[in-house]
Amino acid sequence: MHWEVKKVNKMRIKLIVNEKEYEIEVEPRKLLADLLRELGYTSVHIGCEDGKCGACTVILDGYAVKSCQLFAVQANNSKILTVEGLTKNEELHPLQKAFNDNFAIQCGYCTPGMLMTSYDLLSKTDKIDEEVVRKAITGNLCRCTGYVNIVKAILNAAERKKGGEWW
Amino acid sequence: MVVSKEIYIGQNIKRKHDIKFLTGKATYVNDIYIPGMLYCAYLGSPYAHARIKSIDISEALKLKGVVMILTGNDCIKHLDPLPVTIDFSKPPFNWHWRTVKAYPIATDKVRFVGEPVAAVIAEDPYIAEDALELIKVEYEPLPAVTDAKKAMEKDAPLLYEEWGDNIQSHFIVKGGNVEEAFKEADRVVKFRYHEARHSGFPIEPRGCVSIYDSKTGLLTHYNNTQAPLLARQYMAKALRIPESNVRIISADVGGGFGNKLNWGLEIIPALASKLTGKPVKWFENRRENFLTQPHNRDYTWEAEVAVKNDGTIIGYKAKLIVDVGVEGTNRGSGCGCGIVGALYSAGPLRYLKGAEVEVFNVVTNKSFFCAYRGYGKDFGARFYGRAFYFVSRELKIPVEEVIKKNVLQPEDYPFKTIIGPHYDSANFPELLNKALKKYSEYKEKKKELISKGKLAGVGITAWVEPSGAAVPWCIYYGIEGGTKISVLPEGGVKVYTDITDIGQGTESTYAQVVAGILGVKMNEIRVIEGDSDITGAGPWSSRGATYGVSALVKASKILKERILKTVANMWKVNPEDLEIKESEVYKKDDPSKRISIYDVARAVYFWPGARFVMPQDLLEKGETTLEVQVSWFSPLTAKDPGAVYTTHVTGVDVALIEIDPDTGIAKVLDYYIAHDAGKLINPAIVEAQLHGGIAQGIGAALYEELIYNEEGQLLNPTYMDYLMPTAAEIPNITVDHVETPSPFTELGTKEWVKVDLYQHHQQL
Repeated sequence: MHWEVKKVNKMRIKLIVNEKEYEIEVEPRKLLADLLRELGYTSVHIGCEDGKCGACTVILDGYAVKSCQLFAVQANNSKILTVEGLTKNEELHPLQKAFNDNFAIQCGYCTPGMLMTSYDLLSKTDKIDEEVVRKAITGNLCRCTGYVNIVKAILNAAERKKGGEWW
Repeated sequence: MVVSKEIYIGQNIKRKHDIKFLTGKATYVNDIYIPGMLYCAYLGSPYAHARIKSIDISEALKLKGVVMILTGNDCIKHLDPLPVTIDFSKPPFNWHWRTVKAYPIATDKVRFVGEPVAAVIAEDPYIAEDALELIKVEYEPLPAVTDAKKAMEKDAPLLYEEWGDNIQSHFIVKGGNVEEAFKEADRVVKFRYHEARHSGFPIEPRGCVSIYDSKTGLLTHYNNTQAPLLARQYMAKALRIPESNVRIISADVGGGFGNKLNWGLEIIPALASKLTGKPVKWFENRRENFLTQPHNRDYTWEAEVAVKNDGTIIGYKAKLIVDVGVEGTNRGSGCGCGIVGALYSAGPLRYLKGAEVEVFNVVTNKSFFCAYRGYGKDFGARFYGRAFYFVSRELKIPVEEVIKKNVLQPEDYPFKTIIGPHYDSANFPELLNKALKKYSEYKEKKKELISKGKLAGVGITAWVEPSGAAVPWCIYYGIEGGTKISVLPEGGVKVYTDITDIGQGTESTYAQVVAGILGVKMNEIRVIEGDSDITGAGPWSSRGATYGVSALVKASKILKERILKTVANMWKVNPEDLEIKESEVYKKDDPSKRISIYDVARAVYFWPGARFVMPQDLLEKGETTLEVQVSWFSPLTAKDPGAVYTTHVTGVDVALIEIDPDTGIAKVLDYYIAHDAGKLINPAIVEAQLHGGIAQGIGAALYEELIYNEEGQLLNPTYMDYLMPTAAEIPNITVDHVETPSPFTELGTKEWVKVDLYQHHQQL
């Protein structure tokens, strides 16, 4: 006889990722991060699966969440934004430009999570200073940059936003 | 000379390959999905030391979706043991040096928690993990030892019974006359220093996708290694596949720091692909990563330093005891760290008359030992760094005075230390001048903080960091696949480099180098790296700006000469009358006369062909392409085989620290570094690298430690428990450059990639 993992029926969920609609069947235990990756959004990086590194951060219904800490079924009927959805008509988002201009990327693995967390921060408030930025990204680990240029980039993006450059 | 040089080399040009990272389009190894691909998951031992009595895989095999389960017996049947990576038992060294016979999966007993005892190959990663729970292993637990000192005791549990002790290697590195130095000394300063076990733990864990083609016998293996050529040799040997049939392709690499120079656990996915005929992926989880990836540090210095009353250090005798965990010669090459640590204990010390370091590499029940942003260089730096402080304390001389008194002067260079290393160039007085200004500021701030009832401290250190290694009797012996540069008729320049970009930015900075030297537009250059079918020896041991850049410069110069000779022949002028800039060859005295290098390529290759445009000497030598391949070897190592490293970066660091009197928690408030990496190619990238290195140093000094209990359980195998610094812990970091070019590299570059974790000698 063959063992099978406790037979739990797959569940049908609907979600919108970067304005594209999906209706899919998933195992209830499937992590949202894994589902997003399987759908092709490989900017969602797996780094720890315990919620500390933040490389899998996406925006879910307007909040930055760590997608490895959610089951895909919990995202039913929600709207998700990943880094792939930041660019508009091939043009880099001002936040992305700020990362490039400030040498804020090295190996790039933490970058998508950093972008989504800082996008969340900057979208919600204009009261930005270095301390606010540093606190906001404590849930995102980076091993390459010492955060110095990432902080600079986010502060620079805040300036761009003040200058009306944002979407 | 080269007109276009300053447009590129030395400029803060933005990284051109950032776009893929910013848009989520990078391809890391976990992003590779192949239809029909299987997934590998390892079952790790829950015991630090135990005999495997039996393994029952029958229930797990029944689980739907499980394709295969491999154990130690399968390894014995199909594989050679893990290859030796470093061996100093041979002449001229003849050191006491043991290697181990080990397989990726344990065969008879386990020696550290997490050591694989079985591997499941399944259709889905979730099912692979389900199956792990159905494997039944019966163990006979044995006493464990997790402390090097205890492991050296007579009745300690033995990891390898056949050795009779736990000492994997033991040797003495010495030079000069130690007895005389101690006789001449006014006093002897003794100290002991231990640094906690820690490692890099890059945010991207290790992984691979292995594809074996039984029809051709070719293994194509995608992974995230730093060094495809080294991986190729290692895997070919273990898998018994001719090396010519192994192709390692390193995908975008999410950080390395020396932690991605080990391939033991990638052998099983490759074997599984061979046995099943399907592609197999392995992507470790974070706990597995903490438990089974290379560790570093965890060494102790026991030192006696011979000093004069004025603070001059004239000699030392020291023991260096390194806890290499389960081993440091096969899974990784960590036993070499003790050698480099001993060699670089001499650091920037100017007045040494005699030095002797006795090294013990001791095995314990922890994961194996290999490089982490340092390969023993930092052990050495910690030795003289501590010596400065202990001498200062005992002689009541300010530490900055001890440093000033003892460091090498510019006129000393090139300088051969009594213990081995051969230094190229440096300017400590200039570095100290800069850093001491900041140091005074910090001292003022310290006073201010203390007057407000806070605890505060300042720290200073001066260091030497070697780069560009060729380690004998080791896989790190300057193997170079070389560099190839090719100008293509329909546009574009291909640059093949040996250095894989793992975050240090070479994909862009190497284009800067070629653009500058050859005289082509940077955006017309495509840098190709990370494929063992082409090149791919490194990076390791900070070689990108020594070996990598020097090979690029050498190839660019040869190619440039060939292009100029060809055009000179076409135009009936002298090559000296011509120059190349921004992809066009022009006549110096009549810049309107010009031709694109791509038109030259067309002429050489097809219209009308080399026979009609190239000069006779090139035709006769067969140099009839616009493609040049070279390798490069350190001219210093060529002359002095004892000079394991080619160039030496130097620096002086200062830091201001505050300690919370209630909790004892220390925080670095501000950090400054005066840094000399020779000629810089892209200062902004160098600075960014330094930020990262310093953050890792701060982490190591204040937050990070792998904590093993006496039973050999790692108590903090997650990012939740292992305190990697976040943005809140890292201060502002100011970088100042001094540029003292190296005489031993083509451009005078030394290294930009890495500053080892020398910077945390903060004295509280």
